[in-house]
Amino acid sequence: MTDLTVSQKSLGAEVAVRSAPYFPRKKKAITGRSIAVLVFLSICALFFCVPLYVVITTSFKTMEQIREGAMFALPNVWTLEAWDHAWNSACSGTRCEGLKVGFWNSVYILIPSLILSIGLSIVTGYALALWNVKWAGPFLFVLFICAFVPFQIIMFPLISMTAAMKVYGSIWGVAIIHAILAMPVLTLIFRNYYKDIPQEIMSAAVMDSGSFWKIFFEIILPMSGNILIVVLILQITSIWNDYLIGVTFGGLGGQPMTVNLANLITISTGTVRYNDNMAAALLTAIPPLVIYFFVGKLFVQGITAGAIKG
Amino acid sequence: MPRVSFEHITKTYGLMKVLDDLNLSIDDGDFLVLLGPSGCGKTTLLNLLAGLLDVTDGRIMIGDRDVTDLDPKDRGLAMVFQSYALYPTKTVHGNLKFGLSASKLPREEIEKRIAWAAKLLQIEPLLNRKPGQLSGGQRQRVAIGRALVKNVGVFLFDEPLSNLDAKLRTEMRLEIKKLHDQLKSTVVYVTHDQIEAMTMATKIAVMNAGVIQQFGTPDEIYERPANLFVAGFIGSPAMNLRKAKLSTATGKIEAVFASGVRLDVSDYPFAQTPAEGAEVIIGLRPEHFTLAANGPVAASFDVPVQYAERTGPDASAYFRFEDDLLALRVEPDTAARLTPGEAVSVSYLKGKANLFDARTGQRM
Amino acid sequence: MTFRWSRWSPQLALVPAGLVTLVAFIGAILWTVYLSLTRSRRLPEYEIDWSEWGRQYERLFKDSAWLISLQNLIVLGLGSALAIVFGFILAAMIDREKRGESIFRTVFLYPLAISLIVTGAAWRWMFNPELGVEHFIHSIGLTWVNASWLARPETAMYGVILASVWQSAGFYMALMLAGLKSINSEIWSAARLDGVSLFRLYTEIIIPMMKFTFVTCAILLSLGVIKAYDVIVAMTNGGPGQSTYVPAYFTIQALSAKGNLGFASAAAVLMLLITAVIFLPLVLLTAWQQRRSGARS
Repeated sequence: MTDLTVSQKSLGAEVAVRSAPYFPRKKKAITGRSIAVLVFLSICALFFCVPLYVVITTSFKTMEQIREGAMFALPNVWTLEAWDHAWNSACSGTRCEGLKVGFWNSVYILIPSLILSIGLSIVTGYALALWNVKWAGPFLFVLFICAFVPFQIIMFPLISMTAAMKVYGSIWGVAIIHAILAMPVLTLIFRNYYKDIPQEIMSAAVMDSGSFWKIFFEIILPMSGNILIVVLILQITSIWNDYLIGVTFGGLGGQPMTVNLANLITISTGTVRYNDNMAAALLTAIPPLVIYFFVGKLFVQGITAGAIKG
Repeated sequence: MPRVSFEHITKTYGLMKVLDDLNLSIDDGDFLVLLGPSGCGKTTLLNLLAGLLDVTDGRIMIGDRDVTDLDPKDRGLAMVFQSYALYPTKTVHGNLKFGLSASKLPREEIEKRIAWAAKLLQIEPLLNRKPGQLSGGQRQRVAIGRALVKNVGVFLFDEPLSNLDAKLRTEMRLEIKKLHDQLKSTVVYVTHDQIEAMTMATKIAVMNAGVIQQFGTPDEIYERPANLFVAGFIGSPAMNLRKAKLSTATGKIEAVFASGVRLDVSDYPFAQTPAEGAEVIIGLRPEHFTLAANGPVAASFDVPVQYAERTGPDASAYFRFEDDLLALRVEPDTAARLTPGEAVSVSYLKGKANLFDARTGQRM
Repeated sequence: MTFRWSRWSPQLALVPAGLVTLVAFIGAILWTVYLSLTRSRRLPEYEIDWSEWGRQYERLFKDSAWLISLQNLIVLGLGSALAIVFGFILAAMIDREKRGESIFRTVFLYPLAISLIVTGAAWRWMFNPELGVEHFIHSIGLTWVNASWLARPETAMYGVILASVWQSAGFYMALMLAGLKSINSEIWSAARLDGVSLFRLYTEIIIPMMKFTFVTCAILLSLGVIKAYDVIVAMTNGGPGQSTYVPAYFTIQALSAKGNLGFASAAAVLMLLITAVIFLPLVLLTAWQQRRSGARS
C-alpha cells in the first residue's frame, strides 16, 4: 500500500519560507589553490614524461640529426631505420642479429616461467590457507623471510644446481629459477587471497566431496579469477623486465631481451648509434607498457600486493 | 542561539538531483531531527549546512548571516560525526584542544572550556587516553565534547548513535536531550531511527527522495501524518493502510472496505465535504484498536487471528483482513489467549482514523 | 588405521614448495655461508682453515671497491628516500585535488612498468656528455651548468639516484594514496569544521596516522636499494672507475668477472646481514601489531 506515490513537494512544511526571495548562485570558479596544485602536478608529470619523449623522438631520428645535439627537437625526417636496425641487426656481444633473438627468447622464457611459478604457488597457497596442514605457521614465516633474501646469497648454489640438472644456460634454466624466486611472494599473495574465503564454503565442500584436488579445481580455481589475472600481470611484467636472472642463467643461448639491450647500450665498439639504442629500449619496453596502459589498475594491484604481502 | 533556514536549496551531483528547491526553517533552541530512510538526502542537507558540501542553488542562513559561501569553520557550528572522527593520534585532551587551536583563544580559556566539557560529559578520567583505548560510548562522549568546547549556537549530529549497542543508545539519547535542555542550543540531528526522532526532537522533518514530506512537532507527525509516506514510516508496528470508499448513504460519513466493513468517520475534520464514493486510503494505528468494545467506536468487526507476538511489555496481534494482515496493539495477557484461526471481534476507536486521498496520497 | 588420501593430499601438495624452500633457499644460503669461509676461487673448495676462517671478510674490508659500495649504498638509500617524500607529496596533492586523478596516476606510475635496463638506457642517453641534456642546457646559454653527471665520479651516484627516484616515486605515490584513502573521510570533514590549517592537519594528524605506511615504504625502499643492480649496469656499469659500485653489483662482479667465489660469497653474506638488519624491525613491527590487534579483539 505504501507504493502509492507522493506527488507534491515540501508538504506540510508550514514554517518553510515560501516567500523568501530566490537567490541564483554563480557557478563556483576554480580556486587559486587548486590551480597551484594542478600546475605543480603538471610540472611533475612533465618530468616523468621527458625521458619517454626523448627516447621516442631519438629512436625516429637519423644519426646525423642526433650528432647536431638538439636532444629535445623533433626528428627532421621520421625514419624507421633505427627500429629496423635494432630489431634485425644490432649487435649484442659478438652476435649481430638484433633484438629479435632476445625477443623470442623472452617469449619462450615467459611461458614456462608463468606456468611453473603460478602452478607451484597457487597450490601451495591453497593448501596453506584452506587446509589444516602441519607447520603452516612456521612455513609461512620462512616463506615471508625468503621473499626478502637477496638473490646474490643463493646465486652460486643455484648455478651449481642448474648445472647439475643440465639446464644451466638454457631457457629452461631461466624459467626454473624464475619459478623458484617468485614462489615465496606468490604463495603469500595466493594464501592471503584464499584466507578470506569463508570457512563455511570449505566445510561444505569437504562434506560434499572431500578431495583436495577436486575442491581445488571445481571450487577454488573458479573463484580465483581476479587474483589470477593480477598475479599473471605481475609475473609477465616482472619476468619480461628481469635482467639479473636472464644474464646469470641464460648463458649464450637463452638470453632474454633485456640482456641484449644491456649489451647493446654498454658494450660499444666504434661509433655508438644512439637511435638504435633508443629503438631497442622502446622495443623492450613496449610489451609491459601495453599491459600497463590497458590494465594499469590490475598492474598496480599486483605490484602493491607483491610488495606488501611479500 | 540562532535560527537556521534553508531557502530554495537545490543540490545536484552531476545529473542527479538530490535536493530540489527545498525550504525549511527552524527557530533558535529547536531540536530538529531530519528523519528518513537512507538515501533520502538528509545527510546531504546536513553537510550543506555544515559547509562540507556546496549548494548548487539556494541560500542557507544561520541567524542573520548568509553562510552559503562561508568556510565550514566560519559558520559558527559544531558537528558530531557518525564514526566520531576522533583524531586517532591525539589524546582526548588533544582532540578537544585541536579544534580550538585554530581559533586563537587564550590558553586559559581553552583549558577552561575543556575542563567544563569534560566535567559535563564525565570524561575527566579519560583526558590522557587515546581514542583507540576508549569504548564506543566513551568515544561518543568525546566527540560530543569536541563539539561542546567550541561554544557555538548550532550543533549538528550525523547519526551519532548508530554505532552503539541498544542499551548505550538509550542512555546517550537521554544525555543528548539533557544537554540540549541545559544549553538551549539549536540542534540539527540526522537519523533514520524514529524512536530517536520521537524522543529527542522538538521538530521533525520527515524526508524521502530529497523532499520534505512533513515538518512539525513529533506529536503532529505521529497524530496527523501528512501523507502516506509519513504514515507508513512512523510507528511500529506500522499504521494499517487500507483502501476504502466513502459513503454517506446512512446519513453518516462512512468508509466502506471491500469486505463491506463500514467505519464511521463522521468526526473526521474534512476540509470539504467528500464526494460520495470517493476512493480513500484509511490509516488505522495498531494501538487505536480495542478488543473490549466499550465506549464509542467507529467500527466493530470479526476477523480471524493469524498470530500474536510479545515483545516484553508489549504485544502485537495480527489478524487476517481482506487478504492482508491487520496489526493491533494488545495487552500481553490477551495476546497469550489468542489462538490462530479463532475469530475475534475488534473495534476501532472513534475519531482516530487517518484519511488519505487514494489518488494523491495526501491527507484529506 | 586406514590410510586416507584426503588427509595426506594437502601435506603432499606442499612437498614441492617445501623442497624448493629447503634446497633453493635455506640450503643455498648455508652453502654460500660455508663457501665464504673457504679459500674457494674459481671453483668451490670445501676445506675450511679454521685458523683464518674470516680471511675473505678481512679481504673484503680491505678492498676499496667494497668500501665504496657500502658508502654508495647509504648515499643511494638517502637519495632514494626522496622518492618517498616526493611520492607522498604527489599522493597528497592528487588526493586533495580530485581532478585528473587517473591521468596523473597513470603518468607517475608508468616508469614502474618498464625494465630498469630500459630506464637506465634512457637516462644514460639523457646524461650523455656530448649530446645529452648538458649540450642542450649549454646551447641555451647556461654554459656553467654541469649536467653530465654520469661522466664524473663525484656526481655519477646522483645520476643513478635521479633515475631511481624517477622510476620508483610513482610506486610510493600509489602506496601513499592507498594509505590516504583509507583514512576515514569524516576526519577530513572534522578538520575542516575545526578550521585547522592544512599544514597542521598533515603534520599533526594525517602523517602520524600513516605511520605504518611510511614504515612500509621505508623498508621496501631499503630492500630495493640493497638489490639495486640493473640500473647500475645500464647506467654506469659501476663506473667511472668504481665510483658507482654498490654491494649487489660488487658481489656479482666478484663472482663473474673476477671469478673469486669465496670472496663473492663473503660479500653476499654481508648483503644478507644488511637485509636482516633492515628486515628485523619489520618482522618485529608486524608481530607487535598482530599481538596488539589480537589483544584487543
